[in-house]
Amino acid sequence: MVTLTRAATTRRRTTIAGRDRALPYILVAPLVIFVIGLGLIPGIFTAVEAFFRVTPFHPPTQFNGIDNFIALARNSAVRVGAVNTLLYVVIGVAMATVLGVAMAVTLQRPFRFRTAVIAAMILPWALPGVVESVIWTWIYDPNSGVLNSVLHSLHLIDNYQVWIGNNRLVAITFIEIVQVWQMAPLCALLIFAALQAIPNELYEAARMDGCNAWRAFWRITLPLARPGIAIAMVQAVVNTLNIFDQAYLLNGASYTATSLMEQTYFITFQNLNFGQGYALSLVVTLATLVLSFLVVRLVYRKVEF
Amino acid sequence: MKLSKLIRPIGIALILLWSLAPIYWAINTSLQTDATAEARPAHYIPPAATLINFRTLLGIGKVITGYESVPDTIRRGLINIVVESAAATVITVVLALLAAYAFARMTFRFHRVIFYAVLATMALPAYSTLIPLYRIMISLHLVNTYTGIVLVYVSGFLPIAMWVLYSYLNGIPRALEEAGAVDGASRMQVLWRIVVPVAMPGIIATATITFLFGWSQFLFPLVLSSDSSTQPLTVVIASLQARHSAPFTLMNSAGVLAIIVPALITLLLNKYVVNGMLAGSVK
Repeated sequence: MVTLTRAATTRRRTTIAGRDRALPYILVAPLVIFVIGLGLIPGIFTAVEAFFRVTPFHPPTQFNGIDNFIALARNSAVRVGAVNTLLYVVIGVAMATVLGVAMAVTLQRPFRFRTAVIAAMILPWALPGVVESVIWTWIYDPNSGVLNSVLHSLHLIDNYQVWIGNNRLVAITFIEIVQVWQMAPLCALLIFAALQAIPNELYEAARMDGCNAWRAFWRITLPLARPGIAIAMVQAVVNTLNIFDQAYLLNGASYTATSLMEQTYFITFQNLNFGQGYALSLVVTLATLVLSFLVVRLVYRKVEF
Repeated sequence: MKLSKLIRPIGIALILLWSLAPIYWAINTSLQTDATAEARPAHYIPPAATLINFRTLLGIGKVITGYESVPDTIRRGLINIVVESAAATVITVVLALLAAYAFARMTFRFHRVIFYAVLATMALPAYSTLIPLYRIMISLHLVNTYTGIVLVYVSGFLPIAMWVLYSYLNGIPRALEEAGAVDGASRMQVLWRIVVPVAMPGIIATATITFLFGWSQFLFPLVLSSDSSTQPLTVVIASLQARHSAPFTLMNSAGVLAIIVPALITLLLNKYVVNGMLAGSVK
């Protein structure tokens, strides 16, 4: 009886499939055309033209080997941007991961209004980075910013401070806080989802064995949340390595906290040196892929319950 | 013991403070004039709430002197951001649904190759194709057009949208569709009459995150629009800030104006946004 039904089902499926062989191709065609035309081909462009001299107002375009990369390495703004971007990545990934874990653990057990708290938590994720940068520029304002006002009222600072100023590490940290504000909710949500899969019996068994909440966090929660933490960290790596909106609005064109993506923009659309822009894009893309891969290798562990 | 009982309420309070305080601060500032907003210490609630900033931005009644030209660009930016985000969302969701349905329910040659090739593009940072896309749009004369911006948005959002919808369709039992097929309905009728209604939560989730992505765009529209005709509100606000002359009360009001729509979507369609974020796990 079972085999009979299954055979009937299979036959039915084949007749449906046979009815219109071209249909699946027609259905995926628009997607494929978009991905090839505006994804794959531009990607190949970037990879190839990184090795060409491309300046729209001084043709012709010609092969110049690794000249673009050498010029970038000699460009002090790019060198500063590279170090800064590394700082953005380290500071941002660390902050987003710690915050993500902390928020996820806070939300782990159900409570009244948890859905509402999650709604409030993801709000910064949903807003444009540009607008968030405008809002935080004012929060950080050296003359009348609320951060200075609060810290001064609490007697934590004697004078109003310039947060986004000449101190590179301070400026980068405060700009990165704005990006973390935007991306930490996604990290928290991904880790939160991983935590929801942990069976409660594990915690009960640990408690029976005299394990306190702190140890349960290190021994159960953290190890079993690793798949979620890995995905969250990859998101953070991609975002921080490609930081643009926040750096562009809070730092402007100054050297201090400039990022590689900002330099790509300036080199390409202000200096109109497309070849070097391609080369820098390629470097950032490769760095993103390598670093994402490393994070997955180091952090990701398959978890089975 | 008592301390451990307090940890969670404190944690929840900190989450709310961290997430909402900056937004509150923007609203608080947007309702003040520069005179009160620049006070030390700051006013934590507006001492004399005013709508002058919003009036100036939208060009309603009396405006701040010297900013008479602002309403035109702001209104244009608002129209542009709505048109571009909405158009990109509709096109992305329709095309992604068609492809996801084919991948989830049909067998065809190169099925796996195409599927994984599309997913692989999601690993690349969006900005890796910025410059070539700009040059392609220049050569197609699509700079400063809705078409150019929307095409770029759709190409960027399609793989994620397809993946979210594919995951959703895979979670729906096929029995219903097979019953429909027995009744003689064609594949497209099955998709439209049976799959779409059942998959509606997944479609809404995809649409909400796609729309939010569109609303957040900055660098792509900055590069693809050199004048205000197609600049979305994000680009308009950035150029207003770049002029350094605009008072901060006005900038914060512009910010508040730009976050009303995404904030409402996130709060009202919360369940769908969360599902979309988890299924797509991007941005």
